[in-house]
Amino acid sequence: MAELIRRPEPMQSSPRSSPRDRGSRSPAYPRQDSSGTLKTTISLVPGKTPSVIHTGSFYLVKDIPDEAEITGSTNLLNYYNLEHSYNRFLNKKVKEELSAFLPHLPGNIDSPGIQDNSSLRSLIEKIPIVNKEMNQLSGSALSGFRLHPGPLPEQYQTMNQMMQKKRKHKKKNKDSDKGSALQVAQTDSTADNSLKEPEEKKIKRAKRDDEPKDKKKKKKDKKKKKKHSPDTTTANGTEIAT
Amino acid sequence: MAEKFEALEQQLELFIENTRQMGIIVSDFQPQGQNVLNQKIQTMVTEMNEIDKLRTQIQDVHVPMEVFDYIDQGQNPNLYTKNCLEKALAKNERVKGKTDNLKRFKAMLLVELSKVFPSEMEMYRALKQGRGPT
Repeated sequence: MAELIRRPEPMQSSPRSSPRDRGSRSPAYPRQDSSGTLKTTISLVPGKTPSVIHTGSFYLVKDIPDEAEITGSTNLLNYYNLEHSYNRFLNKKVKEELSAFLPHLPGNIDSPGIQDNSSLRSLIEKIPIVNKEMNQLSGSALSGFRLHPGPLPEQYQTMNQMMQKKRKHKKKNKDSDKGSALQVAQTDSTADNSLKEPEEKKIKRAKRDDEPKDKKKKKKDKKKKKKHSPDTTTANGTEIAT
Repeated sequence: MAEKFEALEQQLELFIENTRQMGIIVSDFQPQGQNVLNQKIQTMVTEMNEIDKLRTQIQDVHVPMEVFDYIDQGQNPNLYTKNCLEKALAKNERVKGKTDNLKRFKAMLLVELSKVFPSEMEMYRALKQGRGPT
């Protein structure tokens, strides 16, 4: 008995027979597979084609990974507090023009940048000269900017074209006068008129409102006169209720 | 973050305003306007230098390239944000739909497998219980 106790168990002591070493490889020692890998045996019998035999009760018994805090099924707009942006952009209609994004910018900015070589892409693709000191122009250099008096030919009068476009737009929206100083100056006269007009209208309306009151007063006076007139009184001197 | 942009914005606005005024002077040029024009040109150089100085403050700003396409097409760049939000929401909904369907499929599969292979499924459940959530 004592001998039996003292004798070490071969399965536990021998490193060759350890469950990791042999059990996971040999189908002769069926054990629970914790690796989640597919247990297979390939039989190589001479004269026969090699075949794969699945062993073990279950394969694909993989440990499920811990659930992540954020997955594709969580509402990401809620998670990143983007509901405000969502409501701002998707519930309201966003104006498509660039001028709606930059209302203070002068000029027609809604046309494609490729037309006048003002695209931002071209800035990246053809990087302009940078890291060069910019100095004030000397008197002789400024002489190169001496201009002839008179207006520009029509095809170059882009500024005037913009103004006209903006003015047309302004007629529709009287409220939006956030434009440039010149535009403001140009529209001042029209704006003054538009400011005066409502005032006149108000006065007219007030007059109209006053008119019926006057008429009512006159009617009341007439009635009073009638009441106090001797024709309406009875013989006893009492008034007839009308 | 917003302060550094504000400084650049102000400087750009000054530059644009100066350029706009130059455009007006040039569009119908009068001889007495030459001095003013010269001044404006000098101001332009000064303002460009000022903008260049602000370059150091704005180094770690990343702008998606697609935004440039919107601006180059004369479109509101807010449309890009809107489209991104729409895409993200649609993708989010699609993924949620997939995960929900897979969960439902798993539950149904377990039910059906338990009907057909009751003993095996019991073994499977016992095995899984020892490990954690199924």
